[in-house]
Amino acid sequence: MDLTPRSNSEETIVPKRKRNWFAIAVIVIALVGGGVIVSQFLTSAIDYYCNVDEVGSRDGCEGDRRMRVQGIVEQYSVKELNGSTTFSMTFNMKNLNVVYQGDPGGVFQECIPVVAHGRLVNGKFESDRIEVKHSNQYVEKNETRMDRANSEAAACSVQKD
Amino acid sequence: MQLDKTSPSGTGTPATRTLGVLVIASLIALSLFGLVFSAEDVVQGSTVRIMYVHVPSIWVAYMAFAFTAISSAVYLTAKNRSLGWDRFAGASAEIGVLFVAISLVTGSLWGRLTWGTYWVWDARLTSTAFLFITYIGYLAVRRLGGTHRQRARRSGVLALLAVLEIPLVHFSVRVWRSLHQEASVADKGTDVELDGLMLFSLFFGLVAFTLLFVWLVIHRQRTLWLEDAYADKGLDAAIVARREEAGV
Repeated sequence: MDLTPRSNSEETIVPKRKRNWFAIAVIVIALVGGGVIVSQFLTSAIDYYCNVDEVGSRDGCEGDRRMRVQGIVEQYSVKELNGSTTFSMTFNMKNLNVVYQGDPGGVFQECIPVVAHGRLVNGKFESDRIEVKHSNQYVEKNETRMDRANSEAAACSVQKD
Repeated sequence: MQLDKTSPSGTGTPATRTLGVLVIASLIALSLFGLVFSAEDVVQGSTVRIMYVHVPSIWVAYMAFAFTAISSAVYLTAKNRSLGWDRFAGASAEIGVLFVAISLVTGSLWGRLTWGTYWVWDARLTSTAFLFITYIGYLAVRRLGGTHRQRARRSGVLALLAVLEIPLVHFSVRVWRSLHQEASVADKGTDVELDGLMLFSLFFGLVAFTLLFVWLVIHRQRTLWLEDAYADKGLDAAIVARREEAGV
């Protein structure tokens, strides 16, 4: 405990101090430089996925290495057979066939963007994890749209709105 | 208990009690709008209702940390260096940490139902977790010991640095490819992508949570004032004891 005699802590007179602008400038430069370095690092390391059209061409998205691929589940492409789910993902006019063992979960459905984790094997993407990437559109479920949903998947109708 | 003439006798005043009633009423109304009046989302179903807590929580956290930085800047630059600003900074940071935690938990639950997983290490989630940890560190620094002014100085500098993370968190979904969706309202101008009552409920949530933040920060600041006054009282007693030992 500090036993230095004091008057009232709120009224203590603080002696004027000369600010060290050089040190402040160095700190600011270090922060900006650090930010640039972190930004560069994150840009190459933390981009969560490759898009379908980048598979085989972009750095980190080529060969048989493990990767995350993002694309939109093509309408009418989802098939379930013997416990596995197959579908086609599309992005920028490119398609990728995906095989996933099990039920993808989340709000997986046609016309919704997904991120598949896995490897490219003989032209097919063998995935062991699917994450559904929800868009930033929020559409109220109502009678009019429910009628339309009878003939179209809900997510596809959102895409077309 | 009143410690001295300058310390408050409690944390409530007629104004804060009125504000408290308003907060309770607005939270009840938010519950009704979020759970009853607003419709389900065509893709997410009822899961969308988590948004009415998740988004206002992170909004309050941003606001709280910005307020912490502003209060710290005022403390560090003002001539009189009133410790009141430091206490506002500390109170606001504590509430900010609470609301980041709420945002992380609700986001995680939403993620499980929508993405199919509780957590991914993408840019938005990682930077938000980093923000949370940073302010936990800030609160720890405030409790390192020393005088009130030492506490105010070192935590003030840290608050000014930590607040720079907020733009990183907010724009992470635009700078990097993230599983988290981009903003539906912020940065959109008039091109908002939420239907009818969903948008109203979301904005109502922002207002209700902002009122809650104001109410909490006022009370917590007053509690910190009492804690400081109590510590000063202990210091006075220690000085008297030391003098008696010395026979002064």
